Amino acid sequence: MANYFNTLPLREQLNQLGVAEFMDSSEFADGVNALKGKKIVIVGAGAQGLNQGLNLRDSGLDVSYALRKEAIEQKRDSWKNATDNNFTVGTYDELIPTADLVINLTPDKQHTSVINAVMPLMKQGATLSYSHGFNIVEEGMQIRKDITVIMVAPKCPGSEVRAEYLRGFGVPTLIAVHPENDPQGKGWAEAKAYCVGTGGHRAGVLKSSFVAEVKSDLMGEQTILCGLLQTGSILSFDKMIEKGIDAGYASKLVQYGVEVITEALKHGGVSGMLDRLSNPAKIKAFELSEELKDIMRPLFQKHQDDIMSGEFSKTMMEDWANGDANLLKWRAETGETAFEKTPAGDVKIDEQEYFDNYLLMVAFVRAGVELAFETMVEAGIKPESAYYESLHETPLIANTIARKKLFEMNRVISDTAEYGCYLFDQACKPLLADFMKKIDTDVVGKNFNEGKDSSVDNVKLVQINEILRNHEVEIVGRKLRKAMTAMKAIKTV
Amino acid sequence: MIPRQVRKDKENKMTEPVAHIDNLTIQYPNNVVLNSLSWPIQKGKNYVIGGTSGSGKTTLAKAIAGLIPSNNAVQLNFDNNLPLPAKVVYISNWYQFTNLEGDRNFYYQQRYNHHQGHDTLTVKAELEHYAQKEKLDFSAIEERIAAFGFEDVQSSQLIELSSGEHKKLQLIRGLWAKPQLLIIDEPYTGLDKNSRIVLNKWLDDLVAEGVQLILITNDNHLPHSINSFAHIVNGKLEKVTSQSEFARDEKRQRKELPAFLREFPQTQYDTIAEMNNIHIRYGKKVVLKDVSWKVNVGEKWLLQGPNGSGKSTLLSLINGDHPQAYGHDLSLFGNKRGSGESIWDIKQKIGIISPEMHWYFDQNATVWHTIASGFYDSIGWFIDVKFHEKKQIEELLEFFDLTDVKHQNLNTLPLGKQRLAMLARTIIKNPPLLVLDEPCQGLDNDQAKYFNDVVDELAEYGKTLIYVGHYESQIPSCLEHRIVLEKGEVKAIENILDTVS
Repeated sequence: MANYFNTLPLREQLNQLGVAEFMDSSEFADGVNALKGKKIVIVGAGAQGLNQGLNLRDSGLDVSYALRKEAIEQKRDSWKNATDNNFTVGTYDELIPTADLVINLTPDKQHTSVINAVMPLMKQGATLSYSHGFNIVEEGMQIRKDITVIMVAPKCPGSEVRAEYLRGFGVPTLIAVHPENDPQGKGWAEAKAYCVGTGGHRAGVLKSSFVAEVKSDLMGEQTILCGLLQTGSILSFDKMIEKGIDAGYASKLVQYGVEVITEALKHGGVSGMLDRLSNPAKIKAFELSEELKDIMRPLFQKHQDDIMSGEFSKTMMEDWANGDANLLKWRAETGETAFEKTPAGDVKIDEQEYFDNYLLMVAFVRAGVELAFETMVEAGIKPESAYYESLHETPLIANTIARKKLFEMNRVISDTAEYGCYLFDQACKPLLADFMKKIDTDVVGKNFNEGKDSSVDNVKLVQINEILRNHEVEIVGRKLRKAMTAMKAIKTV
Repeated sequence: MIPRQVRKDKENKMTEPVAHIDNLTIQYPNNVVLNSLSWPIQKGKNYVIGGTSGSGKTTLAKAIAGLIPSNNAVQLNFDNNLPLPAKVVYISNWYQFTNLEGDRNFYYQQRYNHHQGHDTLTVKAELEHYAQKEKLDFSAIEERIAAFGFEDVQSSQLIELSSGEHKKLQLIRGLWAKPQLLIIDEPYTGLDKNSRIVLNKWLDDLVAEGVQLILITNDNHLPHSINSFAHIVNGKLEKVTSQSEFARDEKRQRKELPAFLREFPQTQYDTIAEMNNIHIRYGKKVVLKDVSWKVNVGEKWLLQGPNGSGKSTLLSLINGDHPQAYGHDLSLFGNKRGSGESIWDIKQKIGIISPEMHWYFDQNATVWHTIASGFYDSIGWFIDVKFHEKKQIEELLEFFDLTDVKHQNLNTLPLGKQRLAMLARTIIKNPPLLVLDEPCQGLDNDQAKYFNDVVDELAEYGKTLIYVGHYESQIPSCLEHRIVLEKGEVKAIENILDTVS
């Protein structure tokens, strides 16, 4: 199989990369009708598979689960999840031939084998859905020409997809139709109906393409979302230990700080996050983040280039073939870092203290969000797509760090994201060595404002505010956040 | 419930008050709650504290327990000679637990989404964890757990507990610790009749061992050891001789029901719900066993049963909240469940209120948003409300005297008003079916009477009603039929007029 993106002429590459249209709610007026009475079979009953299925059934659709024979015979968790909730469960042979829509919600790594098993069993003219386009775009999987191929990708963990649905809302979702596989022209209608069935239409839907979703998703997760949060957390913790800050305090500040700080990002964007700081602290954080952007820009660009050229997926698939040797080695190394091994201390840290004592993370987040966004947009990805894959997802990932540190983050994200995260982390740490030498506890570990005059230069502050508020990620963010009026705090502290 | 360790005073004299509160003032941004309140709590005085909604009872309790700063206005003097821990334990009116990952982002239907149940500790693990931390011995409470009917619950996850079971867990933890000073905020909320007797006996036994009690309640089935009464008026504590002297909220003036609620619902079906031989289980735990029940249009039902008998689960089948409802012999509003209807189609015909829905409701919702969300059966409010809907909201705000607090966050109001706002949410779309699951939990008798009078009046206009309540004194008079559950089985289906006079 050849990388699909690389087979396209440049004009078509740019064309598909540039699909991003925020859909008006009137486009979903037909509800779930396009799938009503059709047989939906979901492959995989993990967090996404089970929760999407529960929502689709609660929306009046006919849902059952196809699992591998071994999963059924051994009564694995996926089998229990589906049967405990009174779903029909069967083998591929039993259920796939009856399906009008097959939804593949297995991990990336299994896609090739799952599709190879499922495709010959699918009936003529049926539809196949993905929630991530890696298999189609990077692995170049060719789907039978009579089959329609769509994507519905909720931009939240499966448990949130369910929780928000039951609250009467939904989570932001990307939908797409693969241009090579829409023989009957029914792809969009079915993708929209599926999206309504999960509640996504209530929280903002972005019309995307397989190519745009993959190239932006990979970029976001490798850089700002996972890579930089990991690097920033480890460097911050090590710096505090080096400077004699109590280890328990340092561990707690880093573990929960990233969540508290990015909660402000979620509601008010980058400028909202910096507005939580005093004026002198804001200026300091701004200056640090400007410096970070200069240092890290070439690394962000390298990641985007490797993603576009297929170099990234090629090396990762080599590691798959090699029994995940690198992935497992890097995972073990992460588990051995001092931050990971030091439990959070039993100290109370007030919400505001997380900002005042952890300016450095505010600077990391601003630099990472803006760099990822800028790099994606320069590469031909539309600002709306770039927003979802950078700023929007950062608080969700930060929440996983707050739960159980980097281990939890790397467990929850896909293996693909985890692999990219380690790649970034290893290149980024040495890059920041000189920068970190200058860092002291005033920006990580202690209150920056303590003992300082709180006055600032008017003109300087106005300029900084203007730069922050007029960044394109803020402009597009304001528009998209408006569609998500019911954003809830996901809080562990 | 956070125990507070306090220094043991070497020169502690027997005559010294157990707690001495001197000039305690506590204010929130917009109002002074406690205003130079003074209260010496003498040894052997076991109090019930009363007062109107929002008079500062909970604030005072938390200040004594050290949960909110009191600027040294609270002095605690413990008795060295007692074998009991020298501390205060405060049992709040709701136990806010977290899942194993520290998250509190729950939704009320989560109890029924079993696959996610592994997120929280089991009751047993929670109790073991607590015992270890407080150095307590399990044998000390085995009998109490049995008396509460709580043995079977121990393998359940915290998120699976009903509201009554939650209360029991809270009480077991607090009473087990046997602190020298025990403060319980609304001890009886959600408890069934038998559990209330068990609790009072347990409290009396603790007093005999030297525990001093402060209860905050308007309930009048109290432990024998209660011998003192006080209420809070204008931020100050006043002692009274009995509960009958407690300051009460002003009796609500009945107003005319808004016209839109006097319209009979249009129904194209004769039965609201019909179920035959329903079994619901979580793994090995059977929650409903062989349940059959039919509710016809216009009927008024009372649903009863001890805590944990399956009442809320039964209701969840009717209001579309239970994933296991599919694949059963269950029809709702004339349609077989799972025949293409969505849960939103079902919910659109039902107005529901329950303790869980209230506890897990959106913390940031204002009163107005809370009521508006009833149009869409959502938690919180997401969609533009239409003009005629806004008019209906205004009418209901007026009807329940909530107009002046409509922009306040729901959770800043006294409980009684919160319940009225939730009731308003329940009826805003004038649904054919009202499901009221313990709507009077935590309300005093006057408040409950007012609430139930409104329910009676609503019932006159053709609505079907399913009502859950433990106490005959706190139910509406329109109820005609009764179904009683015990351990997940139907114990009785009867005509209520034959049994209650």
